[in-house]
Amino acid sequence: MRLRRHFDQEDTTGIDLAPMLDFVMNLLIFFIITAVFTKEMSLDVNRPGAQSGPSSGKDTGSIVINIQPDGEVWVDQRTVDVRAVRANVERLHAIKPDWGVMVLADENAEAGLLVQVVDQVRQGGVENITFGTSTTK
Amino acid sequence: MLSKRHGSGEGEDHGIDLAPMLDFVLNLLIFFIITTSFVKEPGVSVDRAEAETVRMAEHGNILIAIRANGEIWMDRRQVDIRQIRPLVERLHIERPDDTVIVVADKAAKAGVLGKVMDEVKAGGIKEVAMGAAGAGGK
Repeated sequence: MRLRRHFDQEDTTGIDLAPMLDFVMNLLIFFIITAVFTKEMSLDVNRPGAQSGPSSGKDTGSIVINIQPDGEVWVDQRTVDVRAVRANVERLHAIKPDWGVMVLADENAEAGLLVQVVDQVRQGGVENITFGTSTTK
Repeated sequence: MLSKRHGSGEGEDHGIDLAPMLDFVLNLLIFFIITTSFVKEPGVSVDRAEAETVRMAEHGNILIAIRANGEIWMDRRQVDIRQIRPLVERLHIERPDDTVIVVADKAAKAGVLGKVMDEVKAGGIKEVAMGAAGAGGK
């Protein structure tokens, strides 16, 4: 009998883990609920006048793309379709590989068109894109 | 004798050993703590422009939305353009690794987008990107 009691006592030594498990489970549920797995998709652009630009070394020019308030896109002194921006950028990029692209949008132009133009430029192989805005006179 | 064995053997050291389960749950917990990014949602949904060359933002977790009518939403509140700078400054001090994605509606004005990006830069976060939607379900 004594032996059995001794055995029982030894068997139940240690802390009761159940409350800790409850607590940890609650924490786990909290983190599962608050976790957001959707990765945001984005396009990187620079802004003119920033001090931390990568193009501070040598004096390079840039390919200028103008977006008019009515939705016209101008590349290299010609008005082009949005879908033709890529081809134009590829051509100009082949001539001037060091140059970045300056997308100069009128402040009343649509942001959707701007994103399309930036996307086209990136498809054309230029990653160094600066996004500037201009005011209508 | 049979009842005694039953009593001492299974009744008194009651239940399953919880220690391995606790180990497992703690591992899960650590995983979720590490992967949680606490994205600051803007609180409104906007009609994003589609783009082919979108980049998955690794830790772009402050979202600023610009609606078609020019309203700016950040952290589930509508904010004025002049409020963005102090808000971004505060968030930047709290978590210096955070980056900003400005999500503009297709019909929003490019001028507002530019101003918002300038304000964010002035607030101290240099990594600002334009939000877009992946085209073709990519």
